[in-house]
Amino acid sequence: MADLTRRTLIGSTAIALAAPSIVRAQSPTEVKVGLIVPLSGLYARPASVMRMGAEIGIDDVNAAGGIKALGGAKLKLVLIDCGDTVEKAKNAAQRMVAQETDLVAATGAYLSSFTLAVTEVTERAQLPVLTLSYSDLLTDRGFKYIFQTAATASSQSEQGLPELMKLAETASGKRPKTVAIVMDNTATSVATAKALKEKLFKQLGLELVVDEVWTPPLADATPLIQKVRAARPDLLFAMPNAVSDAKLLVEKMNEFGLGQGRIPTISFSITIAEPDVLQSVSPQVLQGVMTVVANWGFKGHERLIAEVKRRYNEPWATQNVISTYGDIWLMAAALEQAGKPDKEAVAQALRTMDGGPAKYYPGGQLKFDEKGRRVGAGVTIVQWQNGVPVTVFPKEIAVAEPFWPKR
Amino acid sequence: MNAVRSLGPLALFALAYAAVAMVITNSYYQLMLTLVLVWAVFGLSWNVLSGYTGLISFGHAAFFGIGAYTTVLGQVYFNLSPWITIPIAVALGALAGLIVGFPTFRLRGHYFALAMLAYPLALLYVFEWLGYQELTLPMRRDAPFTYMQFEDPRINTLIALVMLVATVIATRFIERSRFGMALLAIKQNEAAAEAAGIDTLRWKLRAITVSAAIAAMAGGFYTVVLLVVTPPSVFGMLVSAQALTVAMFGGVGTVWGPVLGSVILIPISEILHAELGARIPGIQGVVFGLAIIAVILLAPEGIYWRVRDLLRKRSLAKSGAGMPSPLRGGPSLSEAEIRGGDGASGTAGVPSGPTPSPSPQGGGELRRGDDVILSVQGVSKSFGGLKAVQNVSFDVLRGEILGIIGPNGAGKTTLFNLLNGFLRPDAGRVLLDGTEMVGRKPHELCRAGVGRTFQVMRPFLRMSVADNVVVGAYVHAETDEEARRRADEAIATVGLTDVADRLGGELTTKQLRLMELARALAGRPRLLLLDETLAGLGHSEVGDVLAVIRKLARSGITIVIIEHTMGAMVQLVDRFVVLDHGMVLVEGVPKTVTKDRRVIEAYLGKKWSAHVDA
Repeated sequence: MADLTRRTLIGSTAIALAAPSIVRAQSPTEVKVGLIVPLSGLYARPASVMRMGAEIGIDDVNAAGGIKALGGAKLKLVLIDCGDTVEKAKNAAQRMVAQETDLVAATGAYLSSFTLAVTEVTERAQLPVLTLSYSDLLTDRGFKYIFQTAATASSQSEQGLPELMKLAETASGKRPKTVAIVMDNTATSVATAKALKEKLFKQLGLELVVDEVWTPPLADATPLIQKVRAARPDLLFAMPNAVSDAKLLVEKMNEFGLGQGRIPTISFSITIAEPDVLQSVSPQVLQGVMTVVANWGFKGHERLIAEVKRRYNEPWATQNVISTYGDIWLMAAALEQAGKPDKEAVAQALRTMDGGPAKYYPGGQLKFDEKGRRVGAGVTIVQWQNGVPVTVFPKEIAVAEPFWPKR
Repeated sequence: MNAVRSLGPLALFALAYAAVAMVITNSYYQLMLTLVLVWAVFGLSWNVLSGYTGLISFGHAAFFGIGAYTTVLGQVYFNLSPWITIPIAVALGALAGLIVGFPTFRLRGHYFALAMLAYPLALLYVFEWLGYQELTLPMRRDAPFTYMQFEDPRINTLIALVMLVATVIATRFIERSRFGMALLAIKQNEAAAEAAGIDTLRWKLRAITVSAAIAAMAGGFYTVVLLVVTPPSVFGMLVSAQALTVAMFGGVGTVWGPVLGSVILIPISEILHAELGARIPGIQGVVFGLAIIAVILLAPEGIYWRVRDLLRKRSLAKSGAGMPSPLRGGPSLSEAEIRGGDGASGTAGVPSGPTPSPSPQGGGELRRGDDVILSVQGVSKSFGGLKAVQNVSFDVLRGEILGIIGPNGAGKTTLFNLLNGFLRPDAGRVLLDGTEMVGRKPHELCRAGVGRTFQVMRPFLRMSVADNVVVGAYVHAETDEEARRRADEAIATVGLTDVADRLGGELTTKQLRLMELARALAGRPRLLLLDETLAGLGHSEVGDVLAVIRKLARSGITIVIIEHTMGAMVQLVDRFVVLDHGMVLVEGVPKTVTKDRRVIEAYLGKKWSAHVDA
């Protein structure tokens, strides 16, 4: 509480001090915001999807009259390629702060490793950065210029799993007791599994009956799935992070007669719900597969989803589109509140903002805690239904009813 | 003096670099200036091992990553400053180098390179398994100096510059000492190096230890610059490749190669990325790759050597005066070369010894004493079903010249390889002054006083004659100066003083033979094994070489010489051992041996022996 008061105090002082300059400042015609993502290399595909969200966001903000507090100034997107290594990300961030000095905020950088490197730079340059990356570490460093819109990795599984249990219980009439994990050894999977195994399974009374790890790429899923079939768990957590691995897993499950939800299958990453999966796996095989993700196209995004389809021919809107689109609106809101095109003022606005319920992120508010985490950030549960992954949880924003196959 | 002069360019470079760093205020350019140096240091570390020994390492990321993780884990878990953890990283890197080197140096060539590839990949998974997927150096605004987190990025560049200067000086020191000579010798011809008394395994282990220590230092500082460490960013393939790329692009086996490579490549890659990355994503990689391919095609040995060759050619054409190489300490042109025009005429270096004259032969005056220096007893060696050497026994008497002759394929060279430790006999004993020598390595035999030359000449082509010979001198020399002196003496003995500064690759066959002789001689052997030293020489040249061999014998060195032609040998040797099909056929003085029926039969066939009998 004391913290909040101090924060508000500082905020209002800052505004008071800034007031004269608002009057003096000439209204700019253009305000620059950055998108720093891996446009080249291994992660170019998700980054290009983020770019779609940003471009639509910019157009929509400008079409709605720009930043009114700045006399209708238009937003302009500055694209920065952060490449596919930590070093390139660091270099790109340094270039961004050294050469794009009139940026007022940025969003990025897809992979949490890159976001870590980028924000080490932007923190020192005092440029506010929004991010859809999950890693807890991002907002555990005591930084003041990073704003994490997604629920952190640990909180995602903590939020997602109990909901899944409820879902299973209501749908099938009995509570799951046993669980199998098959996962790759990438950072996200390892972090998620750690939270599951060390804490959540115990709390929820789940027994781990299969625990298999592979190093991508997966050569053959047969031994994994054989173990799963032998153990017959009530739930299967399948955590691939490469489309090819995902394909092997679901196809092998189908071959063994475990597919289409015979064993309810849950992933914890966006990979299994990417449009690319459909290029190699038939929709029937994917039917019923679920994943817990930080954001997805949900109720109220219909116009945006249609726009993504029209402009970029994307069949549905993933987290990357929705969150980045939302980030642009969030920057616009911060600019309105700051009243001047200044990065420090925007950062301060983000820290003090209380923007009510979030429209483009699941759950919670447009408000950040002292760590820079969005207050009440929730998760979405997505399920493949008839060839499209649709949001089935939370109920308020779900676009379809979840189904839980009965054995 | 030479060493001091060679530091001139380094001092100039460092001062210029520091000056540029001081005036640049753009933090992005400053970061580039820092990273260029980090990668240059890493390239130099690779060069210490792979550049000088020629054993290509695809796995230097292992050491780089160990340095990086030491730094980040030290601060995260123990709150240790990089000022402390980087020296720890250096120690751990050195240890890792030793641990990696010991088993891996059993492999050669491609196998070594591939085995090295495995270490960083294994470590990558180990660190992922340990849960260190993403680590950051905690921000310490309270103590920027203590934790190397300076507000002013110029300080980072200066620290990196100090590291580079230290690494360059260390490398120069290695290059000029017997350490570097040993490594260069290993690179150009490991067998010859071993035969010249160099303990190749020990020097290679030292090289990888130093190399790994420097790589770990670079990795440790890289963490300070990047602040974020992930296994792929420090153990990844691309990291190992970076060392190879900057070194090979700039020039392998020279201290300036990796520096040049880094100064050119790192900014270009970054500029391409900055200019093209957001517009045509991915094109920067294509352009960068094409640029590297073009340069490698135009300058296969790297930019440094290409430029140096061009400069050398031009200065030769312009002034005709030799340009002392300031960088490599290697060949500078001698007057002889300038006089001699193309250098292949071979006018220089005719030994001024006595003109060949038929020496008293066949039971005449013998130089030998009565004691046995080398006793070969029942030595056998088979390769699969081929019995190359069967139950061979003979004694070499102190001071004599013993000729081992026999037709091609008689097992002569195999016998030599058994005598100087390249091969281990299946059976039998080799006693040097009564001491069992079977199982000793070539360099140990060399130390014990057995020198050798090779049938197929094994000169170090990129080294000067003087450097070639000095490699052989280290075996008994206490200091580098002493080795140089001994080498000069040996060169004088064989009469190559005039061409001492030329590269091995520029010599005539006779000069190469004499140079090999000098190299063996520089180790002060008591027993010299000469393998077909006369092969490929013209008639008059044979005389010159024979004169040198006689001179050596007179100086008290026992000589065993292999030849398959009889002619020249009859004039030279005191005694013959004739081999055929891996067995001793006849042993005796030339007069009797040349008349022996079995010898004539072995050389010319039964028809001729019948002819002699008749």
